[in-house]
Amino acid sequence: MKQPVSLPRLINDIVDSPISPLVDKAQEADRKAIAYTCSFVPEPLLNVEGLFGVRVRAPGVSGTPMADTYLSNVICSTVRSILEFVLEGTFSSINGWVFTASCDHMRRLYDNLDYLEHPDFIHILDVPHKRSEAAVQWMREELSMLAEKLADKFNVVTDDAALSRAIDAHNEYLALMRDISDLRKRDHPPLTGAMFQALIAAASSSPTDLIIPHLRVFYETARNAPGIDDYRARLLMAGSHCDDPHYIRVIESTGALVVGDRTCTGSIPALAPIDDEGDPLTVLARRSLSNISCPRMMEEFDTRVEEIIAAAKEFRVDGVVLETMKFCDTWGVEASPMINALRKAKIPVLRLEREYSLGSEGQLQTRVQAFMESMGK
Amino acid sequence: MPKYFAGCDLGSTTGKAVILNASGKVVASALIRSKIDPIETGREVLEMAAGQVEGLDVRDISYLVGTGYGRNEVPFANENVSEITCHAVGAHYMDPGVRTIVDIGGQDVKAIALNDDGSVLEFAMNDKCAAGTGRFYEAVVRTFDVTLDQFSELSLKAKKVVPVTSQCTVFAESELVSLLYKRHPPADIAAGVQLSVAKRVFTLARRVGIRPKVTVTGGCSKNKGLVKALEKVLRVDIVNLGMDPQFMGALGAAVIALRKQGN
Repeated sequence: MKQPVSLPRLINDIVDSPISPLVDKAQEADRKAIAYTCSFVPEPLLNVEGLFGVRVRAPGVSGTPMADTYLSNVICSTVRSILEFVLEGTFSSINGWVFTASCDHMRRLYDNLDYLEHPDFIHILDVPHKRSEAAVQWMREELSMLAEKLADKFNVVTDDAALSRAIDAHNEYLALMRDISDLRKRDHPPLTGAMFQALIAAASSSPTDLIIPHLRVFYETARNAPGIDDYRARLLMAGSHCDDPHYIRVIESTGALVVGDRTCTGSIPALAPIDDEGDPLTVLARRSLSNISCPRMMEEFDTRVEEIIAAAKEFRVDGVVLETMKFCDTWGVEASPMINALRKAKIPVLRLEREYSLGSEGQLQTRVQAFMESMGK
Repeated sequence: MPKYFAGCDLGSTTGKAVILNASGKVVASALIRSKIDPIETGREVLEMAAGQVEGLDVRDISYLVGTGYGRNEVPFANENVSEITCHAVGAHYMDPGVRTIVDIGGQDVKAIALNDDGSVLEFAMNDKCAAGTGRFYEAVVRTFDVTLDQFSELSLKAKKVVPVTSQCTVFAESELVSLLYKRHPPADIAAGVQLSVAKRVFTLARRVGIRPKVTVTGGCSKNKGLVKALEKVLRVDIVNLGMDPQFMGALGAAVIALRKQGN
């Protein structure tokens, strides 16, 4: 597939590094890096002046022998891989950690990190399983406690004004990513799905203000570039954690073009702007509960299906690839009825179960190629 | 010069080639053990097949489709198509009544559900693990110190089935050794091996739905003991396709090549 644009070298460097070079740069300016692992953590709360959020990844993890001694063998490999890097000292420059009790696997990561490493700052947010007004208030209290704890530990200001500024800054990033995402709706998108995932991964693991100029340079190049016109099929990626652009690259090596995504490390956290009116903590709480389509949220199955169907139409895809992490309990339960629901809506679906680190590329290519052929592509 | 159409299936263990004439009749087929270099495997097996047709040079083949694990590496190929589609097309070409295919090759196990027109409705495939594949059987026959044919015949002589619980090739090999040391009859252990593979296929096949006619393709289809175990577990008769089922991928590729005749 001919690619009219390429990613800036810095983006590629960040994607392949467990710690972004921009993190080091920000820390040299005395800002503190707060690591997180789940979309339910509201980034603006970690991005108040003096702090910045870093969504941790484990690129290049080659095995998890140490983590395997602490975690059960049915814990997903995302969690194992991150714990392995923790135990290797890869994340020792991180100043603090914020987790969510989004699933048992993430809870075990929190437990083991706390037990084994005793970080100076570690916190876990309780996240309700519903979206009701009572749940929003519960979540607001959780965020309020975190804000207070961050302020005390790092001597930063987390009042309403500071949070509003952080929300405004994050909205600037979201607007830019929306613009880039919109390029994928073209008949001939100028960028691949792997490139988009690389931008998201690089951005979420770097201080937002430092990455924005690089994203903007890419956008200006891409929006004027000719599109990709030799792809065989347009695909939407949906499912669980997928922060590895190389995984999407293998899918696209078959001639497919991933033009949209609804994964928790892609666009599920929502590129829609954050409300800048009202109590910031309530706004962030509501956004977390309303905009993240995680299968852990009860009574929302139909909404999640509708979101994927809507995205399939919006990006005019030929089919959906539903990728789920092996042993992910929530997606494990959700995947089968979701496949049935999407097929009922006449949307072809391929389910791919995967591990965190990329392997068996040939078998992955065979599955995707056969999927496209079954669609007549 | 008459037109010829070919399919070349480069699998992990063997390379296969099938040539059709313009009427869709199989005029040549060849099979060789895969070499280290897939291009060399492709070249050699195609030349072997072409050599069966008087005056035909591989380069004169009107349209060539590559398939299998090394499908990107088939020399001179006009295009490549996944082995899943090719097995479906090949089996449907031989018997349009086939609705379910179990393809057991050197390193993959696949279950494929077909539409009435022979297109792929659904498929399921093993992950990285090679349990129940040709590679697995290579380890098993090494333990029994017999050929695969002898192992297959042995399993058919079983009076009862000794369960083999390990799916992992490495662990299964150890388990077989300990079962043999416990003096269980080799035939009964062999039947246990066949059953363990058939059960693995059963879970895959259930994912796509088991609808008659059911057939088995790929190199392991020649293992009669396995086919018998599959019939027992899947509770269906396995239909014979009238052509060596190991060639179904290459045949399907050749049929696709033939259908491109008008292009």
